[in-house]
Amino acid sequence: MTDCGCEKAKAELEEYLHNELRKEDAIDIREHLEHCPDCRSEHHVGRTLTEVMQRACKETAPEDLRDQVLLRLRAIQSAH
Amino acid sequence: MSASTLMERTAATPSGVDGLELPVMTTDTTATRDLFEAQAMPFIDQLYAAAMRMTRNPSDAQDLVQETFVKAFASFKQFEQGTNLKAWLYRILTNTFINTYRKKQREPYQGTIDDLEDWQLGGAESTTATSSRSAEAEAIDHLPDSAVKDALQSIPEDFRLAVYFADVEGFSYQEIAEIMKTPIGTVMSRLHRGRRLLRELLAGYALERGLGTGQSAPIKKTSGSTRK
Repeated sequence: MTDCGCEKAKAELEEYLHNELRKEDAIDIREHLEHCPDCRSEHHVGRTLTEVMQRACKETAPEDLRDQVLLRLRAIQSAH
Repeated sequence: MSASTLMERTAATPSGVDGLELPVMTTDTTATRDLFEAQAMPFIDQLYAAAMRMTRNPSDAQDLVQETFVKAFASFKQFEQGTNLKAWLYRILTNTFINTYRKKQREPYQGTIDDLEDWQLGGAESTTATSSRSAEAEAIDHLPDSAVKDALQSIPEDFRLAVYFADVEGFSYQEIAEIMKTPIGTVMSRLHRGRRLLRELLAGYALERGLGTGQSAPIKKTSGSTRK
C-alpha cells in the first residue's frame, strides 16, 4: 500500500472531516490515519471540535415563536 | 437580490423573476400555505439555533426567524420543489441577518477579516505531540456547552457562520459558498481559520478550568494530570 504521507493528510484533514474530498482522496487519508497515530490524534481533535459544537448549539424554538410564525403566515394569506 | 447567482446549483428550470416576484395569492393559497408549513416549519428549531448564534440573544433570534419565515413564504413560489429547502431557508436567514441585524452589531474587523494575516489572528498550527493531543481532545470534550458557545461567539462573525454551517449544520462547502455569497476558497479559509481559533480558545478554557491540555501552554503532560 502506498501511504499518502503526513503532509498530504494534515493538509486535507479538515476537508476529510467535512466529507469534501473525492472518494479516492478520502480513501488515501483514511488509510493513512489507520497507520499514523500522530495524524489520527490530530483528526480526533478536529472531530471532537465538531462534536462539541453540535452538542452545544442545540436549541428548541420557543413554542411562542412557532405560534407567532403561524399567525403571521395566516395574516399574510388573509390579506390577499 | 442576486438570487440568480445563488441558484446555479439547484435551479434547473427557473420559474418567475428572481427575487422580485410578489406573492400572487390565488385560490390555491391555502394549499400553498399548507405545503409551506408542512415543509418549512420542521426547520424552525434549527433556524432558531442558527439565529441564536448569529444575533446572540433570544429576542433578536426570534425576530430574525419570524422575518425569515415571512420572506420565505412570500417567495415560496420561486422555490423549486425537489431542491434543497434547508439551504434555501438558510440563504434567506443569512441574508436577513446581514441586511438587518448585522448593521446593529458591527464588529471591529468586519469586512476585512479575510484579509488579516494568520499571525494577526493568533493561533498556531498544532505541533503538539500525539499524547497531549489526545489530552486536548478529551479536555475539549469535557467543556460545558456554555464555554463552547462563548468561544463561538467570540470569533469573527464570518468565521463563526462558516464554521456553524459546516460543523453544526453539515452543509457542503458549495452550499456554504451560496449561503454566504462568497467563493468556495473563502469558505475554506474561513473554516480553517475559524476552527483554529476555536480550538485555541477551547484549549485555553480547558486550561483555565483545570482540564489540562498540552495545547495552550508548554506544559508537559503526565498521565493523570489530564482531567480535573
